[in-house]
Amino acid sequence: MNIHSKKRRLAAAAAVGISAAMVLSACSSSSSKSPAASSGGQVTLHFFGADYGTAGTANSTQLYWQNIATAFHQANPNITVDIQTIDWTDFPNKLKTMLQAKNYPDIIEGDAPQEYAQEGIAYPASDVLSASTLSNLIPTFAKQGDYQGTEYGIPFTTSTRALYYNKKLFTAAGITAAPTTWAQLQTDAQKITALGNSTIGYGLPLGSEEAQAESYMWMLGDGGGYLTNGQYTINSAANIKAFQFMDGLVKAGVTEASPGTVDRTALWNDFASGDVGMVGGSPAVVPIIQAAGKLQSTDWATAPFPGESGPLTDPLGVDDQIVALNVHNQKSAISAFLNFAYQDQYQAAFDKLYDLLPATTSAANALATDPIFGSFVSAIATSSAYPSNPNWSDVSTQIKNTIGGALANPTTVLGQIQTFATSQN
Amino acid sequence: MTHNTVAEDVGTAPPRPARPPRPTAHPARRVLRALAPLPWLAPAIILIAAVVLWPVWEMFTTSRQNINSDGFNLGSNGWANYTAVFHDPRLPAIMTRTAIWVIAIVALTVVISLLFAQLFNQKFPGRKVVRWALIAPWAASVMMTSIVFRWMLDPNNGVINVLLHQLGIVKAFNGPQASWLGNPTDAMCWMIGVAVFVSIPFTTYALLAGLATIPGEVYEAARVDGAGRFRTYFAITLPLLRPALTVAVLINLMNVFNSFPIIYTMTSGGPDYQTSTSTVYMYAIKGYNIGQSGALSVLNFGVVILIVLVFLRANKNSLKAAN
Repeated sequence: MNIHSKKRRLAAAAAVGISAAMVLSACSSSSSKSPAASSGGQVTLHFFGADYGTAGTANSTQLYWQNIATAFHQANPNITVDIQTIDWTDFPNKLKTMLQAKNYPDIIEGDAPQEYAQEGIAYPASDVLSASTLSNLIPTFAKQGDYQGTEYGIPFTTSTRALYYNKKLFTAAGITAAPTTWAQLQTDAQKITALGNSTIGYGLPLGSEEAQAESYMWMLGDGGGYLTNGQYTINSAANIKAFQFMDGLVKAGVTEASPGTVDRTALWNDFASGDVGMVGGSPAVVPIIQAAGKLQSTDWATAPFPGESGPLTDPLGVDDQIVALNVHNQKSAISAFLNFAYQDQYQAAFDKLYDLLPATTSAANALATDPIFGSFVSAIATSSAYPSNPNWSDVSTQIKNTIGGALANPTTVLGQIQTFATSQN
Repeated sequence: MTHNTVAEDVGTAPPRPARPPRPTAHPARRVLRALAPLPWLAPAIILIAAVVLWPVWEMFTTSRQNINSDGFNLGSNGWANYTAVFHDPRLPAIMTRTAIWVIAIVALTVVISLLFAQLFNQKFPGRKVVRWALIAPWAASVMMTSIVFRWMLDPNNGVINVLLHQLGIVKAFNGPQASWLGNPTDAMCWMIGVAVFVSIPFTTYALLAGLATIPGEVYEAARVDGAGRFRTYFAITLPLLRPALTVAVLINLMNVFNSFPIIYTMTSGGPDYQTSTSTVYMYAIKGYNIGQSGALSVLNFGVVILIVLVFLRANKNSLKAAN
């Protein structure tokens, strides 16, 4: 009896163990949605995008798209657009999980188009956008959506990066002008940290939210970058040197502690509360400062991001792209929706909502003389963009997850990312 | 050794002299008789096959495919995913960390739960309320608990840091000392603490149930024999509690090994995977290589099975006593 019951227990325990292991181990699903009927009848488009605001509040991007979708549905009663947005930190994971489960959206906003183009599931931009809208896109960014000479990605919103600094803290620390070199930045950050009261001299966000942007701004500072002539050179000498300098800042205690775990939104919020002397940022910092209500418009300013020996002339320019997937064969419906969404009023509404920059030439020209945004807009022409290699999306994920470790170990960690980038081509 | 001449027993189990002689049966009837329980077992067998065996098979086949991050199967990858897993320079550190994570949490949980179970087994005013209160960490979502702890540890204004600052332990906000979750070692300690916190209720209740099964006469006999408190505990309570303890430890071992939400919520396994256990790491690499993630799943699965088998083997006597 004992032998049998022991066996039974073993089997039961093994079954429990297997089930427990399975819950977290299995990650394969082959269920696929059948494409909706494309001719006649009702059509539902699925839109998946990033949330540039805060979910559940009035500035959520969910509402922005929902308004467009509602207006669009009124004009085209047979097309319904289902909107889903999610914050940037969870965006890559959520999107990958959807795709891996074969749950394809029709329109994606916020991801690079090249991988989809390579897989043959993306529409060329010219298939889903009218010629007039297409030619109005800012050329620097339109080119970012290319895969083998064809444009797949459609820039939707753009931003260039600059250094935000708190003038009040600068005055208190006896600093008269914004830093233009790395050395000046370090000296200024030291003076600001010395004010005490837990003030952070320079906010260095290398957490997973947007580590690829902060890293790139520093790499550009001494002539490095992710690519050289189209090939990945992530562990170049210049990049390693940039991270050594950043680590020096951390070791000197003039940044926040453990930058590898701190996301940019957290630091932008801290800057808005007046606790951070300097931070790199896009125009999206402006509404955060205004919402916090701690800093008046005269208390802060922006300057070109410092480089090793002088300010960056080719600062980081980011464009978030829209890509349309052909999995459900909804070309005409997607085209109708995108042409509707790219109307000037909606571009303007988005830029107003988040203080980001437009993706169209006409809208950018209108902003060129704006006191706050003028300098960001004028930087577009010479800005440095992210790589548009097909595997950039995966490389970017890897950078977000690991580059925080490059402060302590630049050679090893940047080397690992380089190996990853070149082995996945 | 006496030879049994019953034909169908030859070649099966060695006959034992003590066994009573069985009437000879036709082989077909024996097969039928053996199959008789099948209708009753079939639903369970089908369930196990569908929710356990089939996913295991899927996991294994996935681990041998080359699947990109968008879910496109680019064909068979042989054993290359496994080679990639075993050549991953991060694997040794992650596996060591996983072992520390599991052992530390299970050991702390069991020791603390033994104390709690003993306390709650006593009769005292308000016992009911305290017993209910103990359920709270169990009833609350683990993710919720983790988020609460993450904010309590915020380097700028987390309530734990404010308290430690007032006590003079943390010198300055926003400094390296206040950034508990930013330093991998400190972060692991805090997360182990949270894991123990959420594991204690179940373990305590399992042990409490075990304590309730120990008959009062045994204690009476011990008192009559003049055994002291410690002697009674170590010679009577603990041995009689062993079946409950074994089950509690086993379930905790598997739960903790597979634990995901605490680490994912508090540090996401970062920076640079330095707070990832193998389960969290498996999820992280799923973001860019499903096949390799599948291979690591198979490895994790093997480790869990191994832990369970070794543990059951080591505790076979206590399980026997349970029957």
